[in-house]
Amino acid sequence: MLRALNTVLMLVTLASAVGLYVVKYDTRRLEARVQAQERALEKAENDVAVLMAERAYLARPERLEPLARALGLGPLSRHNYAAQAPAGERQP
Amino acid sequence: MPAPPTQPRARAPVQSAPRASATAGPVNLRPRLLAALGVLLAALGVVSGQLVRLAMKEQPEARVSMAEPIARIWSRPDIVDRHGRLIATDVATPSLYADPHLMLDIDEAAEKLAEVLPNFEAAELRRLFADRNRRFVWVARGLAPRQAQRVHELGLPGLAFRSELKRVYPLGTLAGHVIGSVNTDNRGISGLERMLDAAGRVEAVQGLARTSGPALRLSIDIAAQHALTQELKSAKERYRAAAAAAVILDAGTGEIAAAVSLPEVDPAHWLDTARADRLVAGVYELGSIFKVVTVAAGLELGVADLDKVYDVRQGLAIGQYTIKDPGSGPGRPLSVREIFLHSSNVGAALLAQEIGAERQRAFLARLGLTDTSRLDLIPIANPLLPRQWGAIETATIGFGHGLALAPLQFAGAFASLVNGGLMVTPTLLAGEGEAKAQTRVVSAATSERIREVLRLNVTHASGTGRRAEVEGYRVGGKTGTAEMPGRGGYQEKAVISSFVAAFPMDAPRYVSLVLLFEPQTGEGTPRIVASVNAGPATARIIERVAPILGVSPRSDAPGGGRAPAPFDAPAPAQ
Repeated sequence: MLRALNTVLMLVTLASAVGLYVVKYDTRRLEARVQAQERALEKAENDVAVLMAERAYLARPERLEPLARALGLGPLSRHNYAAQAPAGERQP
Repeated sequence: MPAPPTQPRARAPVQSAPRASATAGPVNLRPRLLAALGVLLAALGVVSGQLVRLAMKEQPEARVSMAEPIARIWSRPDIVDRHGRLIATDVATPSLYADPHLMLDIDEAAEKLAEVLPNFEAAELRRLFADRNRRFVWVARGLAPRQAQRVHELGLPGLAFRSELKRVYPLGTLAGHVIGSVNTDNRGISGLERMLDAAGRVEAVQGLARTSGPALRLSIDIAAQHALTQELKSAKERYRAAAAAAVILDAGTGEIAAAVSLPEVDPAHWLDTARADRLVAGVYELGSIFKVVTVAAGLELGVADLDKVYDVRQGLAIGQYTIKDPGSGPGRPLSVREIFLHSSNVGAALLAQEIGAERQRAFLARLGLTDTSRLDLIPIANPLLPRQWGAIETATIGFGHGLALAPLQFAGAFASLVNGGLMVTPTLLAGEGEAKAQTRVVSAATSERIREVLRLNVTHASGTGRRAEVEGYRVGGKTGTAEMPGRGGYQEKAVISSFVAAFPMDAPRYVSLVLLFEPQTGEGTPRIVASVNAGPATARIIERVAPILGVSPRSDAPGGGRAPAPFDAPAPAQ
């Protein structure tokens, strides 16, 4: 009776040791994955920042102005404003 | 019975087995024990030997291990304009460091590296790598990716990269003065960047983690900023000025839509003092634009109304000084309104004299012109007040001399005078102006009178601001031509020519202040007075910037009736 109990307990101990081992390595793998994801996120954020900076650089007024002028555009003058009819008379 | 004899036979092996093992045991176990002992002793011997070797080994000297904070960098929030357009951000860039201990040939490494990095001399690098005990030396921080690749291709041992955050300004010099700059550790050292540090909005980070803080939204509109920069540059060139500055701010909230100081600065490079922001870092005697304040004080304190007449023909003698008007003038006594239009120094001095030193000082204090002020957290140069506020000082301050101010501080006071009389504090932060407590500095009636004379100064035939008119925008403003103090008194040829304006004048939305430092005469500008340089420059600026700021022109411009003079009309009297 006691022997059977001992055997069972021994088996349980062994099983839980194996279980612990598996869980521990799973955790380590997960941690590694989390870290990898964090690094990827950091990299993505930095890539986004670089792209935003590049977009701002390309859209800087200093560059756009000559391009716009080359297209025949210019600063808005008062002649570009049309008199607006009152709301009731507006065409559909 | 055959069974009994089998018993001893069967027993014999049972009995002999323990005997056999008892005799074989000592024989088999002893060598194993001895072997284990031997292994242990050998291991102990190795450890002791190693200890003895380490103890015996000659030590070069007591070594100090210096920890260098290699990974600490400051992450800063983005800076965006009022419409969310990016002005400054952090990006990861490679930084080069060296481990001299691992270098094979320091001379070779220094020479090869100097070829690739144009900013470095081989001798300088050699010095950097000379101490082989140092395990970490920064070589170049914030390299361009292409440069980093070329260093990498050299394949030198002992050189490696770390990625670091670096502040970048994609718009180049645009709004450089306002933005300020940062040092190599990404800490703010001037302008708004310094303010971000002072406000605790930067985070010390390891690696490339970026701060999660919200972006700093400015009241600056980069399109207006660009337009103002362009127009001011062309004005500076046209009037051959040594420097120029201009600001456009919201008349109601004090939010700055654009602020330029020429020559420009690049935020990516450290500020040099010769290019300091003239709007906040310097104080100047502003000259006649200050008459707006004098007239406002006269009206507010009940000393005069716009029709009160002063005899300005004789000049004003105070002690050993005599104040005279530079031009001939109309040669008759002038009303306050006319004093403003003709920009009569004598008239302004007489009015100031009647106000008196005490009340003048108190009025300036109410407008915040005598106190230290700040643009958000950026310090503005302290106003330079007269040491002794006597009769002569009262008179000269009446026309803007004897009191030196940072132009931005004056622009704020001017906005308070024209917006209906509510105190305005200039700010660079979007939404900040509205939150501030609105205290009344002058009555609505005084503010209306001021708007009236400012508009008249532009529409009237003899007004000095005639050439600041922009059809449809109902500009009102005042000229100022202040001689700059030099050796042995004021210099006639070196002036600060300025124009302060508001538009549209019936309900001002924006205030502008344009300053040209030491403009020269030239074709179309026979004189160096503000009516022929700063005035027309303001017109061009307003015409260009107003539509960007959403102020649309109105064809039925009230408050004058006269057709405005074109920019190239002959120069009126200053």
